[in-house]
Amino acid sequence: MKKKNNNNLHAMYSKTHYEYVRKIKRDKTFILSMQILLFVAFIGLWELLATVNIIDPFFFSSPSRIYTTFVSLISSGSLWTHIGITLFETIIGFLIATALGTLIAILLWWNEKLRRILEPYIIILNSLPKIALGPIIILWVGSGATAIITMCVLICIVITTISMMNAFLSCDKDKVLLMQSMHANKFQIFCKLILPSAIPEFLSVLKINVGMSWVGTIMGEYLSSSAGLGYLIVYGSQVFKIDLVMTSTVLLCLLAGLMYAIICVIEKKFKR
Amino acid sequence: MNTLLKFDNVDFYYQTKTEEIKALSSVNFEVSDQEFCSVVGPSGCGKTTILSLTAGLLKASSGKILLKDKPVEKNDSRIGYMFQRDHLFEWRSIWKNITLGIEIQKPQNKEAKLELAENLLKKYDLYAFKNQRPSQLSGGMRQRVALIRTLVLEPQLLLLDEPFSALDFQTRLKVCDDVYEMIKSEKKTAILVTHDISEAISMSEKIIVLSSRPAAVKSVLKLNLKGKTPLEKREDPTFGELFDKIWKELTNEEKK
Ligand SMILES: Nc1ncnc2c1ncn2[C@@H]1O[C@H](COP(=O)(O)OP(=O)(O)OP(=O)(O)O)[C@@H](O)[C@H]1O
Ligand SMILES: [Mg+2]
Repeated sequence: MKKKNNNNLHAMYSKTHYEYVRKIKRDKTFILSMQILLFVAFIGLWELLATVNIIDPFFFSSPSRIYTTFVSLISSGSLWTHIGITLFETIIGFLIATALGTLIAILLWWNEKLRRILEPYIIILNSLPKIALGPIIILWVGSGATAIITMCVLICIVITTISMMNAFLSCDKDKVLLMQSMHANKFQIFCKLILPSAIPEFLSVLKINVGMSWVGTIMGEYLSSSAGLGYLIVYGSQVFKIDLVMTSTVLLCLLAGLMYAIICVIEKKFKR
Repeated sequence: MNTLLKFDNVDFYYQTKTEEIKALSSVNFEVSDQEFCSVVGPSGCGKTTILSLTAGLLKASSGKILLKDKPVEKNDSRIGYMFQRDHLFEWRSIWKNITLGIEIQKPQNKEAKLELAENLLKKYDLYAFKNQRPSQLSGGMRQRVALIRTLVLEPQLLLLDEPFSALDFQTRLKVCDDVYEMIKSEKKTAILVTHDISEAISMSEKIIVLSSRPAAVKSVLKLNLKGKTPLEKREDPTFGELFDKIWKELTNEEKK
């Protein structure tokens, strides 16, 4: 519909409005071009400083070296394995944490006694730096993918539970009363009122969890792994292959951004 | 006309951690079938409490509340409740909003109720908005949708808790008229809680004036104003007189 309006701009709106819309467009173009410029300048400056040896490319790498590393990783075929593993761990961790966290939040909403009993423990769990549990996790579930996914889940799940529970509890009391006056039972109140009204909060939890699950996975890979982007970063820094570290970091940026973009698309779908 | 609702010496206490709040003190009144009855009283006196008790959402501490000679109970389908705000669910279409009660109660005569819903929408000029979202409707239209949502369940008694107070004055007069017409033409009994005396006078056949907390019935006024609609009733020569009378009773109360 928006597009249509734009096409008919001259016919439908006054001159002032036309100029107003044009100004918005101009601003948008300006901001986008500045963003691109900033990116290009950063890359260019980095490359330049490395080439003239003002910064030591051995420690700071450089865009061209990152590119070469990238190409050689692809041609050796190992890149896809590393990306695949990290992506797999992150997505599984993300899904488990979101689903399980929401499920726990539902239970806590449902049962007030349970909620009050568990409240202090949840608060403690939330403030605990989950990375501290790393060594214990490895002892309990063994090293490798299971430990990494567990780490990822641990990091995301508490905040998911807390946010979703608060969203459920913050539903308008009068709306609940309205449902009751129509004789809805608790299950109906949950399905027809509480859950749909918590969708906006759920979407923002999804966004937070995208970021957090990458943190969790990379932390997990730092602790124990034999493959994955986090592994490449640790390995690269131990053997002073800074190019490898930088390449992996750039890839991480791209992947995390991509996942975030997917969530944004889902969000748009929901909001219509 | 026969009595539909009867409050017989009803007391009600709210329990809180620190104290027991007496909200109603021996409340007695009756509402006849198809009567439009308003309840006015100082704020916080216990008007909403009376409606919640009638709807069975609260239980009287003592005394009896009878609907057609039978005690009201929780989930009494003879009663419909309309709140101060319309509480339409934004994520549902208008149609899905007004059929919410049918969805919840899954009545046997579902088809008939759906048909009623459709007819009500048509009758009150909302059919064109059937598939729209509540946010696309004006405040007055939203209140009419909220009323239809209640009417679809075919309650005998409608409870209206300040349903117009969120609207601006002009819309309010219009919506009063609409709601009055809907309630009368569907032959419903209604209890309207309001803090607007003129609204009470223009809409009702009976006004119950409450004292401040704990609420007791101070007086019951039976009115018979000329005019078909609330707007016309405002033109009645005795309107001002009635207004003064109720105003004095309420302000006396506040001085005390
Ligand atoms: N859940 C509750 N717990 C304790 N006290 C309550 C509760 N609900 C209401 N009260 C008290 O009971 C009294 C009557 O409340 P009620 O809501 O019936 O008043 P009201 O006449 O509807 O007021 P208003 O004009 O503000 O809508 C108030 O003084 C209020 O403080
Ligand atoms: Mg009230």
